[in-house]
Amino acid sequence: MTMDGEPIDDNLLSAWVDGELAGAERTADRERVEAWLREHPEDAARVQQWAADAEALRAFAGPADAEPVPDALQRAVWRRNGGPPRWALAASAAGLLLLGGLIGGALVWQSQQRATLTSEQTAALAAGTAAGWVERAAYAHSVFVPEPRHPVEVKAQEEHLSRWLTNRIKLPVKLFDLHEQGFELVGGRLLPDGPGKSAQLMYQDAQGQRVTVYLRKPEDGTDAAFRYEQHGELGLFYWVEAGAGYALVGALPKERLLAMAQAIYKQGPVMPGAASAASGGAAPRGSSP
Amino acid sequence: MDAPAAFRRQLLDAIPRLRRYARSLVFDMPQADDLVQNTLERALTHWHQFDQRRDMLVWLLSIAHNAHLDTRRRESRITVTDPEELQRTQDQQGGDPGTDVGLRLDLLAALRRLQPEQREPLLLVCVEQLTYAEVAEVMHIPVGTVMSRVCRARAALRQFLDGGAHVGAPTLRRVV
Repeated sequence: MTMDGEPIDDNLLSAWVDGELAGAERTADRERVEAWLREHPEDAARVQQWAADAEALRAFAGPADAEPVPDALQRAVWRRNGGPPRWALAASAAGLLLLGGLIGGALVWQSQQRATLTSEQTAALAAGTAAGWVERAAYAHSVFVPEPRHPVEVKAQEEHLSRWLTNRIKLPVKLFDLHEQGFELVGGRLLPDGPGKSAQLMYQDAQGQRVTVYLRKPEDGTDAAFRYEQHGELGLFYWVEAGAGYALVGALPKERLLAMAQAIYKQGPVMPGAASAASGGAAPRGSSP
Repeated sequence: MDAPAAFRRQLLDAIPRLRRYARSLVFDMPQADDLVQNTLERALTHWHQFDQRRDMLVWLLSIAHNAHLDTRRRESRITVTDPEELQRTQDQQGGDPGTDVGLRLDLLAALRRLQPEQREPLLLVCVEQLTYAEVAEVMHIPVGTVMSRVCRARAALRQFLDGGAHVGAPTLRRVV
C-alpha cells in the first residue's frame, strides 16, 4: 500500500501549504503530495506546523487596517501640484473647452462646406447612434486637424498614450506606425462618442498634412465591411475588425488613404489565427467605391 | 502631467497594507512610515508607468521593495547587523516568563534572525497572501527562487522557535 518510490522535496510540501498546488495544472503534484502526507505522519506533522506558523505570522502582523492612516501619509498622496479639487476643476474645464471646440469647429466646418451632411446624418450624429460614428469621426477630424498648436491632448512622446486610451475606451489602442506612408504620430485624444468614448490618433507628414484614426468599440452586430466614403474633400475608410471600429480620415487621394488603411489593418489587433491572413498582404475587402 | 485623482485614491486605499509590509521589512514604525512615504512619492512620480490592468498592491510592494533595498545599500556602509547581538536579544526575550508576550517576542526574535532574503517572501506569502508569482514580481526573482526561499524561511523560523521554546531539547536544535 505504500509507494515510497519518489521522496517529496520540502519545496513542494511548502508550496502545498501555501495553496500553490491548488490549480488544475498542478493536480498531479497535489495528489502526489497528499498521498505522501497520508503515508508519512512525520512529514504531515511538520507541514501542519508550517501551516500553524503561517497562521501565527498572520495573527502577529494583525489586520492591515487596525489603525487609521497617519495624516503625513495622506498628505503625501495628495501632494505635488495640488490635490483632487484642482485636478477635477481642470478636468471639467477641459471638458467644457472640448465641448465648445466641438460646436465651434463643427460650425466652421459646415460654413466652409468641406462636407455636407444630410439632415438624417445630423440627427444620427446628435443622437449618438451607431450609424453616426463615421460622421463623428469626420467631425472630430475637422475640429482638431486645423489646430496649429494644440492638435492633440496627449503627445506621441508620452509613453502612456496607448495605455491611457486603451483603458478609457476599453479597446486595445495601438499606436500604428505609418512611417512607410510618410506619416508620423502627433498624439491622441479621448472623445465622447454618443453614450461611449472613442480615441483619436493624429498623424502628420513632412508637408504638415494630417490624417486621423478614430477608434471605438462598435455596437453588437455592426457591419464589418471595409468601406470608403467621400465627404467633400475628406476621404474616409472605415471598418470593424476584432471588436474595434476604425475610421481613417484625411483630405488625401483615395490611393494614399487606402495604403494607410491597409497598413493600419495589418498592424491592428489581430485575432489568433487571422494573423497569417492579415499579414499575407491581402487588400482589405470591398475597397472599391 | 500630474497624477489623476483616481490613481491617488487607489494609492490611499493601499496604504494600510503597504504599512504592514513596510513594518515587516524594517521592524520599526517610524522607519516603516518613512519607507511608505518614499514609496508613495515614487509611485506618484511614475504613475504613468502603472498599467491599470495590473494589481496596484503588487506594483506598490515592488516599489517599496526597491526603495528598501536602496536604503539598505546606503546604510550597509554605516551599520552592520550582528547576528550575535540578535541572538542575545532573543535569549533575553526568550527568558521572559510572560506567556502571550513571550510568544510574540519569540516570533519577533525568530523573524529578526531570518535572513531578509528569506523573511520577505515568507511574509509576503503568509501575511500578505500573495501568490508565488506575485512575490516573484515584487522581488524581481524567479518563481522557483520564491518557492525555495519560502521553504527555507519556514524551516529556519521553526528551528529558531523550537530552539527558543525548548532550551533543553538538543534534538530540535539547529541541524543545518
